[in-house]
Amino acid sequence: MTQAKINSFLMGVLLAICTIWLLVPFTMAILWSLVDPAQPWTPDHLLPPQMSTYRWTNMWENSALKPALLNSYTLAPITAIVTLLLAMPTSYCLARVPFPGREVAKLLVLLPLVVPGFVTAIFFTAILFQLGLTQSRFLAILIAHCVLFLPYAIRTLTVGFEQVRQDHIDAARDLGASPIARFRAAYLPALRPSIFASLLIVFIQSIEEFAIAFIVGSPDFTTVPTLLFSRLGQDFIRPDAAVLSLILVVPNVILMLFLEALLKSANPTLSSGKG
Amino acid sequence: MTWRRCATVLLLLMPGLGLIVSLIGMVVYVAIAQSFGLYNLNGDSVFTVAHWAEMLDRKLYTRAVTYSIYIGVWSAILAVAFAYPLAIWLRKPFRGSIIIGAILKAPLLVQGLVAAFLFINVISYHGIFNQLMQAIGLWDEPRRLQNDRGAIGVLFLQTWKNMPFALLLLTGAVQAIPDDVLDAARDMGAGTFARFRKIIAPLSLSAMQAALVIIFIGAVADFSFQVIAGPTNRQSLAQLMVFVRQTSWHEAAVVGVTLMVIALAGSLLLAIAARLILKGPFSR
Repeated sequence: MTQAKINSFLMGVLLAICTIWLLVPFTMAILWSLVDPAQPWTPDHLLPPQMSTYRWTNMWENSALKPALLNSYTLAPITAIVTLLLAMPTSYCLARVPFPGREVAKLLVLLPLVVPGFVTAIFFTAILFQLGLTQSRFLAILIAHCVLFLPYAIRTLTVGFEQVRQDHIDAARDLGASPIARFRAAYLPALRPSIFASLLIVFIQSIEEFAIAFIVGSPDFTTVPTLLFSRLGQDFIRPDAAVLSLILVVPNVILMLFLEALLKSANPTLSSGKG
Repeated sequence: MTWRRCATVLLLLMPGLGLIVSLIGMVVYVAIAQSFGLYNLNGDSVFTVAHWAEMLDRKLYTRAVTYSIYIGVWSAILAVAFAYPLAIWLRKPFRGSIIIGAILKAPLLVQGLVAAFLFINVISYHGIFNQLMQAIGLWDEPRRLQNDRGAIGVLFLQTWKNMPFALLLLTGAVQAIPDDVLDAARDMGAGTFARFRKIIAPLSLSAMQAALVIIFIGAVADFSFQVIAGPTNRQSLAQLMVFVRQTSWHEAAVVGVTLMVIALAGSLLLAIAARLILKGPFSR
């Protein structure tokens, strides 16, 4: 067999596996979310006997979905912006200011990724208790999310700052630009894709994050993942879990594809670890 | 370096790196201190090793340790083992290779809890997998597959979720190997396996180590896959930590510190083992 034939054969096999890998699970989830409670889906039916959007409207009206969505989608953009602002100076320093120990600093940035999420969550709560700062769950989760996702933002922005060209900065300076004008003329154009990428990565991570939201937020602060977890655990209702899974996964897939396109147009994808 | 410059660097690092080091440092410090009886939230703090002694004595704890290591090591090995052939196959672009790459990377986009739900939905008692096995006559009746005792479900989920990540790292490393090197090996009569063993694997070692370590750390600390799809007669360390915290912060701290030590030591051992196996003890 020629290489081309082998490739097309392997590709056929792989496409078949991927159908099983992705298509079947998601189809099942969509079908389960459409099961009408009037007629249960029994194993002797290939498709649900009666389909309706009852589960979707019911979840929307009679569960904690609305507050969870509100929490998730206010937390994520604020986290993304705050993290970006916090990451900027460090990234600038790591990319453009040579100093002894810079490589060590770059490694230390990764610290939040090395400590297991649940350890961070539990002992962050212990610190909050110790300091008596338990009034605002929202604020506590916000702080933890910012720290947890700073590595992604710093890594992405460091690559961005490295790509700013020194002659552009020098030219702007020679022409008498103020620091702000210099930033806008020389830095911003090269930096823009990294800024968007950082915002998107942190936004997605914050929406998906479970450990912190679950431990720090429990019992009364819910996000979409913690709500899904409760529907997978003590009160397992398959159609409800299907609805929540789809609500969690669909927007993120769209955002991620957007991110991929963005990164492809800009810089090496590996800085995100998600490329 | 002048003082002024030094101060500038410190000021610049403060909001980003400074915040990371202080908060994560505090978290690690509080965990260690609490495991020795300090930072008591409900009474007097007394330095003691009693909590360690008590936990080390409990079967629940030792079983959680071995179970978490089992999950961590196997998840890392399986994900990398599946990713390697795919990375080598996708080394040279061909018609459709971009689509294949995209499909293979898709699980990266699926949140862990959603993945767990999709999985238990497919393998449920009257689920599509059981139906299929009955339809083709392999099984006479449906089998209970969820929460299986060997934790095959958890390992499957970990591999499903992490293989794309290993693939991402390995593809880059494998693509960086020049054709000349592989052609030379082929000319000298190296077979497929010898080329992998002597050329590809050593040259992509650091990517493989990174993949092994990152997947290991994630899987050893797994909570959600274990709670949803894991065996009900044992607990992972993260699960145990959440569970014992309801009664004692200090015992939870013992489990937390154990988890960090295992993550760190296990990562080092895995990286060293990969190096020794692929490069031999004496080469550099």
